[in-house]
Amino acid sequence: MSDTTRRKLLAVSGASVAAGTVGLTMGPAHAGEAPRSATSARESVVAYVHDHRSSEVRLLVGEREIVVDDHDLATRILNAAGGQ
Amino acid sequence: MSSHREAPEMAKDPVADSTDVYAFVSPDRPRTVTLIANYIPFQTPDGGPNFYEFGDDVAYDIHISNRGRSEADITYRFRFHTEVRNSKTFLYNTGPISSIQDTAWNRPQFYSLTRIKDGEAKVLARHLACPPVNIGPRSTPDYPQLAEQAVHKVGRRRVFAGQRADAFHVDLGSIFDLGALRPFQHLHLIPMADAAGRNSLQGFNVHSIVLQVPIGEVSRTGDVPADPAKARSVIGVWASASRRKSRMFDKSMGTYVGHGPWEQVSRLGNPLFNEVITPMAHKDMWNARHPKGDSVFAKYVNHPELARLLPVLYPGVFPHLAAYHKARADLNAILLTGIPSGVVPGFQN
Repeated sequence: MSDTTRRKLLAVSGASVAAGTVGLTMGPAHAGEAPRSATSARESVVAYVHDHRSSEVRLLVGEREIVVDDHDLATRILNAAGGQ
Repeated sequence: MSSHREAPEMAKDPVADSTDVYAFVSPDRPRTVTLIANYIPFQTPDGGPNFYEFGDDVAYDIHISNRGRSEADITYRFRFHTEVRNSKTFLYNTGPISSIQDTAWNRPQFYSLTRIKDGEAKVLARHLACPPVNIGPRSTPDYPQLAEQAVHKVGRRRVFAGQRADAFHVDLGSIFDLGALRPFQHLHLIPMADAAGRNSLQGFNVHSIVLQVPIGEVSRTGDVPADPAKARSVIGVWASASRRKSRMFDKSMGTYVGHGPWEQVSRLGNPLFNEVITPMAHKDMWNARHPKGDSVFAKYVNHPELARLLPVLYPGVFPHLAAYHKARADLNAILLTGIPSGVVPGFQN
């Protein structure tokens, strides 16, 4: 399974932003080395894993909420939260 | 329509607490409608040195439904920001405040007004000044003048946002002491001598957002309807307050920083709906929801808890209420579906 099919940006909420699906290009094993895209956030971001059993990560940035379905990203966050 | 501190979580967040909503055809300008939304209940006039003010981190909305769909067709949004003119003093004001531009007022508050219709937001005005709070005869010697200066014209609209005396009357101290009604409390299950009612809100202030707009700006057809019996003559009005989805404390600044979209935390439309009809366990959920989904609360309207309590609290006083067990179609119409034509002459909703 490719990264782009495993990881999907599920929805974008917020009054002025339409929902959409966008593929991510960042590799899980080299997340720290991945280059930032031209549209990467330039402000503080809150990442929220509501259910540790799911692969859903919610990103709060500006007045938007971006829902990402990304098992690897969720796992890395959960591992980091667990001290690894 | 009043609802002060009506939900457990909201009672801890007074800056976002919608306390009153009023909507009426303006007596002084009958081709306009006046919309008032109050927030921040039970303000003591002597609440210094950090006096009451709107939340810079709250979005205050007045919603209009003009198509009978229980959805906001038009929303007026008010966003505030506070400035500190002199960072070297602890004082709210360094001398008498003679005008709302007076530099002796150290903590002025300003706001923007945005109109949202069909998903499109248009900023109607920015940097509108609030008045200071009413501090006292030395600091705010002519408060009526300060308040008058804070009435702004925005096109054909007039707008004000600031501290006002709470105009609502209610004997909260008595009614929430097991439903006591002082004038005939000798009939209560726990009787006491009758007494005159007391206005619990007397002497307390709220923060009011007042917007007077041409009726044609909020009516369905863009004109001033002449026939009150027509459905298109009716508008529904409610107020809400929203906070950012995430709120993190920034220790370096000593303040909270918001992230994410605005989420509704308070709303108010019909009188006392959330206060005495919605069960406590659901009140904060009710605050976060939109009117469109209120049918889930219809069971509490059809069989209100208060109707069961009154015959118990006042034995023998309400025999008809005690004997009535059908669904309350009257309350359902008043609070949810609208009063049909013919019930009140010249009125329908």
